[in-house]
Amino acid sequence: MTAAIVELEEVGGRLALEVKERSGAAPMSCYQCAKCSSGCPVAGRADLKPHELVRLVQMNQRKAALRSRFIWECTSCQTCVTRCPQKVDIPAMNDALRAMSASEGVAASGTAVPVFNDIFLKSVRKRGRVYEMGLMAAFKLRTLRLFEDATKAPMMLAKGKLPLSGPQVAGRSERERMFREAAEGGGE
Amino acid sequence: MSYVFFPGCSLDGTAKDFHRSTLAVASRLGLELPELKDWICCGSTAAHSTDPLLADALPAHNLFAVGGQTVAVACAACYSRLKMANHHIAGDAAVRAKVARVVGGDYDGLTPVRHLLEILCQDIGRARIAKAVSRPLKGLKVACYYGCLLSRPPEVTNFDDAENPTLMDQLMATAGATPVDWPHKTECCGASFSITDASIVLKLSDQILGMAQAAGVDCIATACPLCQLNLDMRQKDIEKRYERKYNLPVFYFTQLLGLALGCTPQEVSLESLVVEPYDLLESKGICGAEARR
Repeated sequence: MTAAIVELEEVGGRLALEVKERSGAAPMSCYQCAKCSSGCPVAGRADLKPHELVRLVQMNQRKAALRSRFIWECTSCQTCVTRCPQKVDIPAMNDALRAMSASEGVAASGTAVPVFNDIFLKSVRKRGRVYEMGLMAAFKLRTLRLFEDATKAPMMLAKGKLPLSGPQVAGRSERERMFREAAEGGGE
Repeated sequence: MSYVFFPGCSLDGTAKDFHRSTLAVASRLGLELPELKDWICCGSTAAHSTDPLLADALPAHNLFAVGGQTVAVACAACYSRLKMANHHIAGDAAVRAKVARVVGGDYDGLTPVRHLLEILCQDIGRARIAKAVSRPLKGLKVACYYGCLLSRPPEVTNFDDAENPTLMDQLMATAGATPVDWPHKTECCGASFSITDASIVLKLSDQILGMAQAAGVDCIATACPLCQLNLDMRQKDIEKRYERKYNLPVFYFTQLLGLALGCTPQEVSLESLVVEPYDLLESKGICGAEARR
């Protein structure tokens, strides 16, 4: 008789399992040493530290995790997972939590990251590449931050860093198909 | 070894000086970097924060089109996304099958991806570069700043040492400059929060500039479009917000290497830098007054 191998995520809550299924990250392996938080560049300003977020996921605190500001302030710098003795992939976990938070419409108020991501990916879908000037203009319009960094665009134009026309890569219909297929999960 | 160059979106816009100086360096060293035809965006943070399958499929679309050649990348963020996709696809048959359906072909995740620093230091080699140096950057103290995504996570990028990389330091020493030992080589600058929440970038980039200044450098060398933009374009804002005085030019490492290889200031696009480097370069005897246009 072979011994049953119990996946830690199976004894944890539903949230830890969902995170693992979506991202491969294994939050149940964390033993709260907090090494991640020692090196995290945003731990000092966010509402949670990375090891605290992992604990919330372990304890199946879905609402607190998905509504936290931390998941939107994580810079994906990969310092935490690089140093983690248990290799808990917190950046990948955050990716999963961000996707869940955005699709359930519970993203922390004040974060502009979901809008930015949406505009960014629309540009890739349509043009094949990101047109930085169009991206910034669209972002300002959608977030009504019209005067923030108002001096930056003229400065960048003067430095030749903002081309006036955007890229257009061939194969738009193929890209449309790719994006649709990805949204459907790549299933048969 | 033959390469296909994946420039990435930034190199056609805010980092066109990185693009130009990369090609100038390559041409001086006889390194051919033909651009991948019809490449598309790697997806960057927007894709991996939204949909893991799309985040693997966008790089895979490009890597699949390359065939058997080695992909050369300059942008640290593109490098990270291409290598991450390879890591996922080569390591997980289920991911590979899903990506195949999205991309429309079975990509194995094995197309080699090399960063320019690896190509220059490891493929071409410092001995060959040293022979091509005609204008050594004597007396120039440089803080080599690698940022997050070249060396982390090491299981994915396998780039140099994760906490203390030295490839850029070696290259700057070969160019005749003096790279300094400093602790913020791989700290985060705040990256794309430059657009969504600049307060994160101002704080993190201030810490990097402050540490470089404390290390007594003349300038910073970077290998990532977001690092360069945050430290250079936002330097005045940072000085104002935190009441500091830095005035530290922030180069792409290819701009400094290009100068050492005899390129003109225009060939490496020094005019694109926001913090002007001319006083510094003149004081070290690297460029004359003709560098200012």
